[in-house]
Amino acid sequence: MITTLLIIHGLLAVALLGAITHQTLAVCWPRRKAPEDHFSGRFRAVNAAAYSNAIVVLYVATMVLGAVIYPEFRVSIRSVVEELGQRAVMGAFEAKEHFVVVGMAMLAPYWYFWRTPLAEQYAGARKWLTALLAIIVWWGFLVGHIINNIRGYVA
Amino acid sequence: MNTRAITFAMVFAIAYAVAYVVSVWHNYALFTYHPALGEIGWGVEKSRDGPAMYWYGWMSTALLAAIGATVIAAILPAGFTQRLRAGATWVVTLALLLAILYMLRNYFLR
Repeated sequence: MITTLLIIHGLLAVALLGAITHQTLAVCWPRRKAPEDHFSGRFRAVNAAAYSNAIVVLYVATMVLGAVIYPEFRVSIRSVVEELGQRAVMGAFEAKEHFVVVGMAMLAPYWYFWRTPLAEQYAGARKWLTALLAIIVWWGFLVGHIINNIRGYVA
Repeated sequence: MNTRAITFAMVFAIAYAVAYVVSVWHNYALFTYHPALGEIGWGVEKSRDGPAMYWYGWMSTALLAAIGATVIAAILPAGFTQRLRAGATWVVTLALLLAILYMLRNYFLR
């Protein structure tokens, strides 16, 4: 059961990672010229506002699932990481635990800033808050991936 | 767009995030969860048989603080709360992420 939930947690995180990365690049590095027929141009040429609802739902769903499986990690996995002497990995996981809560707190203003029609007065806050949420999501994804494979990394 | 709703959302978000980090820093957990036993105890408890988890308790403490802050913001005159700038959301977020890394520095420096 826990393994199934962990896989769903990971899949939701992948979807969230894709959505927030699209939106962040679109808002921080917008496409200037009309047709750009290369990957990065097309990647940035999305309607960034269209992602905000999906990002909020995916963020909350990923976090709720993470909260459900967290006790199993605390009981069964954390001691293994500590026995392996991976203090930096453990610290990175602790940071993930706290980062995602701070990010979750900011979802309501984030959602407001992205409501259409986009208000010009929130342009700066929209851009930087989105970028910070992207950093949080990337941190969570990478650290979760490392923890998931920790035995393989240190073998 | 309802600017008062945005202001309340910002007050709640900032209060929640700040209260959460303060709760972690000083361990103000509303309750403690003992996952090996499946038991919950009020406030901060030492581990019983297996580890003690404070994460859910810190989030609950922060929720109470954020609700309190939002209620106070609702009581205050609108002109007072509307001084809050949208930029405060990302500035506070960035500051808290750095504070968390500072709090956990011993994991990375030893």
